[in-house]
Amino acid sequence: MLVNAYSKRVFNLAYQFAGSYQEAEDLTQDIFLKLYGALSKYDFEKNFTAWLLTLAKNHLIDTYRKTKWEKAHRDEFDEQFAAPGSPQDPESGLIREADKKLVWKGLNRLAPETRMAVILRDIQDKSYEEVAEILDLPLGTVKSRINRGRLQLAKVLKDRKEEAHDL
Amino acid sequence: MTCERIEELLSAYLEGELNQTDRAEVESHLAGCADCGALLAVLSRTQKALAGFPELDPSPGLLARLVAIPERKKKFSFTFDFVLKPALQPVFAATAIFMTLLSFYLFSPDKKNIDRAIDQKIHTGYSQAEKLYAKAGSFTERLSETADNVLVSVKNWKVFGGDEDESYK
Repeated sequence: MLVNAYSKRVFNLAYQFAGSYQEAEDLTQDIFLKLYGALSKYDFEKNFTAWLLTLAKNHLIDTYRKTKWEKAHRDEFDEQFAAPGSPQDPESGLIREADKKLVWKGLNRLAPETRMAVILRDIQDKSYEEVAEILDLPLGTVKSRINRGRLQLAKVLKDRKEEAHDL
Repeated sequence: MTCERIEELLSAYLEGELNQTDRAEVESHLAGCADCGALLAVLSRTQKALAGFPELDPSPGLLARLVAIPERKKKFSFTFDFVLKPALQPVFAATAIFMTLLSFYLFSPDKKNIDRAIDQKIHTGYSQAEKLYAKAGSFTERLSETADNVLVSVKNWKVFGGDEDESYK
């Protein structure tokens, strides 16, 4: 069944992209509505997961362009992300949690296409080839886009670290 | 290599995707450039932070709504499918034209004149029909007279033992 097999994947993609739990629920519902409408157009020779994620990506980026979520706040990191397991070193665990908070907020600074590429590669752990298929872009473009996105996020962390040093 | 070029290669360096030459060049640059070294460390932390976001479960309410979508779509198509049938398109077009004309008539400021013109048309049409009917009646009479005359003249032929001098009607 489609809902059992794909709802979690689509919901997480929507949540990581939009940053709001409520928004992600609405977006997931919209994506499934579109999916049921578009099933007749599915080419059976194509990878279904990639096809579905492309449909989801298109909907998320189109909606972003119409509503400009960057003006909206992302949910606070603590609200939804319970730290999985207890870290061996509490101090490094705290640093990692602080990094996660900053990176989570920093995702909103990325252009939608770059944000989507980084989410697919680094959060959803897709291969570069899979990301290229979902985004319908050449492999080289995908790699440079992901590198650019990571660097932007790294600079968010770096700036915050420097600010903390200055205090 | 410049710092900009190193930035472009840092992701590939971290993922071990560089060839030996590029890798050696990046490492030699990193050994002498504190900024790029610091950026590499932060980039690595960024990737770890991204990889550490756990997957969330969709709420039961959302799952129930998603499961209900095909049923809702079916209901919708059951209710409205007949509207989309091509066979009904001329009916819809005719209805639209009729409604447009009706609204022109009902809301026209000159409604009385339109009523009068319609009355006249109906009256003229009715009288024309009456005339036509009257003409048709006289034509039938003349037709039956002609038929009688033909019958009499045929009977009066000598061949049938008649008197050809007998007068017609």
